[in-house]
Amino acid sequence: MAATETEEDQLDATFSALASSTRRALLARLARGPATVNELAEPFDLGLPAISKHVKVLERAGLVRRGRHAQFRPCELDPAPLRQVSAWADLHRTTWEASFDRMEQHLATLQANKESNRR
Amino acid sequence: MSPHPESTDSTDAVVIERTLDAPIDLVWRMWTDGDEFARWYGPPGATIPVADLDARVGGRRRVCMAITTPDGPMRMWFGGEHLAVDAPTLLVYNESLTDEHGTPASDDHLTEVRVELTDHDGRTHMVMTHLGIPSDSPGATGWTMAFDKLTAALAR
Repeated sequence: MAATETEEDQLDATFSALASSTRRALLARLARGPATVNELAEPFDLGLPAISKHVKVLERAGLVRRGRHAQFRPCELDPAPLRQVSAWADLHRTTWEASFDRMEQHLATLQANKESNRR
Repeated sequence: MSPHPESTDSTDAVVIERTLDAPIDLVWRMWTDGDEFARWYGPPGATIPVADLDARVGGRRRVCMAITTPDGPMRMWFGGEHLAVDAPTLLVYNESLTDEHGTPASDDHLTEVRVELTDHDGRTHMVMTHLGIPSDSPGATGWTMAFDKLTAALAR
């Protein structure tokens, strides 16, 4: 049930990249389509260098790809690591659901025993 | 993404609600008595040979999970601290992978489990929230909400 080390590293990178409201806003913007760093910076009070830095963090986390050829190197969202995050939650959800099924069985057994002892 | 529209969770949190056919005090014991906890906790096929739960605020918890893998038996240890203990309605604890002695294997996967219980005429409504907390987040507050917005945007 344990994720492999590489998957854990990927989750670390994804979670830390997402731990900034600015970067989440950048991703939300990119979810609507590719954009250049200039376009990404428009709605923010932050300067271009700051936005550039955030984009680099997202790139390192594998959440953003940048075009190699175009002059302005537009940024594009890569949702694969986000699916990995989703897998983390799915894994835990499945485990908890199975656990709670057993808890219900155990509760039923305990109460049935109590009933029969009473008779 | 795989949305779970029936609950309010996003991808970094798991929220599960159940109504259990048992009185609230008994359900409380399921979470706070190590012997009872060991009877139900863990993924299918796993057993819990050790569950030391000191269910007081600041009290430690130490849980061993044994799993049989194709390569043989494997033991995993989880350790953490009880953050809120308000019998029989609220239990909050954190947890991470540790070694046998409770030393964290790494500090980057601390997760938090919150259990809320309410009595419904002898039955018990249980809400369990399991949060993954990123280590270098300046505070996990607002994290889930912001992430919900992001996933909503991605779903468009």
